[in-house]
Amino acid sequence: MTPDLFFEQLVNGLSLGSLYALIAVGYTVVYGIVQLINFAHGEIFMMGAFGAYTVWLLAGSPTELSAAAALGLLLPAMILGGILVAVGTALLTERFAYRPLRGAPRLAPLISAIGISVFLQEFVRLFYGRIPGFPDSKRAIPFPHIEGISGNSIQLGDVSIKMTSVFTVAALLICTAFLWYYINRTKTGRAMIATSQDPDTARLMGIDVDRVIMSAFAVGAALAAVAGVAHGMYIGNIDFKMGFMAGLKAFTAAVLGGIGNINGAVVGGVVLGLVEAFAGQVGDTAWKDVWAFVILILVLVFRPQGLLGAKVVDRA
Amino acid sequence: MIARLSAYERVGRFAAIAGAALVLLSVMLPWAYGKRALDDMTYFFGPSPLQLCGAGVAAVCLAALIAGLVALPGRGPTMLCWNDMARVGGIGLAFYVGAVLVAVAVATGGLVNVEAGGWLAFGGAVLAALGGLTLPDSPQATLSHFLTPSWGQIAAIVVAIASALFAAAAAVNQGDVEDFVVFGVWLAAAIFLVRASGVFAWLSLAAAGNRQVLVMAAFVAAFAFPFTQNGSDANMSVAAQVLTFAGTAIGLNIVVGLVGLLDLGYIAFLGAGAFTAAVLSKSAFATLSVDLPFPVVVVISGTVASLLGLLIGTPTLRVSGDYLAIVTLAFGEIFRITMNNLDGTDGPNITHGSNGVPGIPNLNLFGFDFGQSHEILGVTLTRHANYYMLLLVVIALIIVVFTNLNHSRIGRGWVAIREDEMAAEAMGVNTFALKLLAFAGGAFLAGVAGSVKAYTDTSVSPDQYVFLESAFLLAAVVLGGMGTVMGVLIGATILKLLPEKLRFFDDYRLLLFGALMVLMMRFRPEGIIADERRQLEFHDEDEELAEDVETELVVHQAHHNLEGGKRS
Repeated sequence: MTPDLFFEQLVNGLSLGSLYALIAVGYTVVYGIVQLINFAHGEIFMMGAFGAYTVWLLAGSPTELSAAAALGLLLPAMILGGILVAVGTALLTERFAYRPLRGAPRLAPLISAIGISVFLQEFVRLFYGRIPGFPDSKRAIPFPHIEGISGNSIQLGDVSIKMTSVFTVAALLICTAFLWYYINRTKTGRAMIATSQDPDTARLMGIDVDRVIMSAFAVGAALAAVAGVAHGMYIGNIDFKMGFMAGLKAFTAAVLGGIGNINGAVVGGVVLGLVEAFAGQVGDTAWKDVWAFVILILVLVFRPQGLLGAKVVDRA
Repeated sequence: MIARLSAYERVGRFAAIAGAALVLLSVMLPWAYGKRALDDMTYFFGPSPLQLCGAGVAAVCLAALIAGLVALPGRGPTMLCWNDMARVGGIGLAFYVGAVLVAVAVATGGLVNVEAGGWLAFGGAVLAALGGLTLPDSPQATLSHFLTPSWGQIAAIVVAIASALFAAAAAVNQGDVEDFVVFGVWLAAAIFLVRASGVFAWLSLAAAGNRQVLVMAAFVAAFAFPFTQNGSDANMSVAAQVLTFAGTAIGLNIVVGLVGLLDLGYIAFLGAGAFTAAVLSKSAFATLSVDLPFPVVVVISGTVASLLGLLIGTPTLRVSGDYLAIVTLAFGEIFRITMNNLDGTDGPNITHGSNGVPGIPNLNLFGFDFGQSHEILGVTLTRHANYYMLLLVVIALIIVVFTNLNHSRIGRGWVAIREDEMAAEAMGVNTFALKLLAFAGGAFLAGVAGSVKAYTDTSVSPDQYVFLESAFLLAAVVLGGMGTVMGVLIGATILKLLPEKLRFFDDYRLLLFGALMVLMMRFRPEGIIADERRQLEFHDEDEELAEDVETELVVHQAHHNLEGGKRS
């Protein structure tokens, strides 16, 4: 492998890994607090991407914006719209599908989550395209061109780095910084830590556990929505089933880093992205998706607590 | 007599009687203009089969209302729950007649085509439903307290199974979508009516006392089913699909229902069995094509699947159950991708990639050619009917394995793991070995089902084994009732038969499926047919239910002791 090729795959791996990391945080935060694998999280990511796309449509599908207008107005509006849709969906599913099942045998919320996942995919597939003026959602929808990011790249010697990659990695860095501040420096964040350590004691100390769980779902959904926008720009299109594979990979990343551990999710995501990029370069791309799952199984055999380790909660 | 009724109930009861009688009378009038709507409801004094069905429910409802009047409150419990029957019957009738009117409107283009008789029936049914709602709850039926002679119990079981066969044949034979839906609504109304009466509770006691008779009768009925289809290969093809699906779901039921491990890639085991059988078959595209007798192929397919089960289970069963769900899901994807890639370019050529292995020849066992139609007793048994019979044998084996394991030491260990793994381990249950056994055993059964599926479908390709199929299998188990055979059979039938018959809602199938899973978990997590232990587990705060189950168990036990006493 030439150094150029190596560098190219490094950038690919980092961008892919940043996407996985952004989604993986959602799995890990929710798992840390309620010990639930939110199977529908991949669909929340998809809803975020569709929310952002909807904002672009409602803004009149602008195509001829200047870079300043696109980056200063359109993109923030799209990200905000995506976050609103994703957080709304996540809170609704939490309220109507998961909260009533708290305390039920563990199988129940997991099955409910599968139901939500299928429902959301089908809902978007069947009904999004029916809104007048919206594109057919049964096939992939091209994501809008954001002047200043899409199609641009920066040159570093012989290598060119796509701006979409820069955006994705930057998104991860900014989101992680915010997340760190939110968890460690705000009242809600510390309530989340307390609840994840011992929900009953937290309740006795006056923490509203329901609110904490809702904020965990909301935080995860917000990051997933950012990932949805980044994914749309990086891949170039969005579709109703984009959440399935991405969700699986992100879950793998969360397990890889140690589920329940937020830093672990970020590290796991980046590692998984790099492994996938280099494995695809060295081996046959037809087997690309298999690698992630082989890693998942290997981690479970040899290091079930993940790379960074997390307390293995087993509240039977 | 009547004076002892409250004024409220008096009005309600007589309104309901009038309503049910109106429905009964309206059957003699035409319900619809135009012969195309449903099964021709246009005659005076010539009720159509579907009208007669409605009349049957109305008649039972009427009889229950009058019987409830004779057995007044204060006289203690009655043999059947008359008031409950009347109430449920009235509501069912309203739904049924409503469905008929909608179906007529859909088939002929508008409600204008509903005749006066139809409106009369609807008014009567609504009156019966509203009147029924005013009736007080019945005390528990005393039917279960009578010791019926054993021939009576056996006769009841045979009648119940025969009516199930009749209902299944009638449902499959409904040609039009409207007819099928209306018949389905009627069937649901009839089942709820019988359940409300307390007969089911008695039947289940009778069935528990005569298990062999029940099983025999069920299998005779299942074998008799092709004879009701006189040569319709399309219907038998659906029936064969239902059986394959049900067999696989029962295998999954070991893993999910008994041990409580969520397997989201179970379809891969069915696929492993099917691919093994296909690759070993005499198809021109088979890559290993070895001339082996069919039973050997079945065993090899099952073994390959269970080896895969061991391969995936050994690493994952040591960690918490939540991981297993996702790892099995990942494994399902690996299986599909691998089968796609073993095409000669991305890997060795074993499966021909996405084309799969087509043209698998028909089976020929002991000189019986499964590809030909055979005449038996003047009824033509088509190709799919032959495979249906073979699948019945396979499914019988699967059920025998399932029930025997369930009632053995192993089965109790599994349930203990499901209820509380730590406690089970502390009690000396070898949890890892038992979980592994369940996983490999469930995979074996799916592999066996897959090998027969390969021959039934004549072709195997990777795109049949996607995640959604695994989700549907899981849905069959959850919908029917985790841990029960009967429930899974019902769940599998509903999930396979409805989409075949209701093509028009094909597009909304998955949406409804997703919503159904969430609603089931919310309101009836134990499924249609509940396993008693399961039911308690899901409703552990419900004291009333706990008492109900306990009384039922006590009555059950008393029966058992009495019968045992009689015999000795």
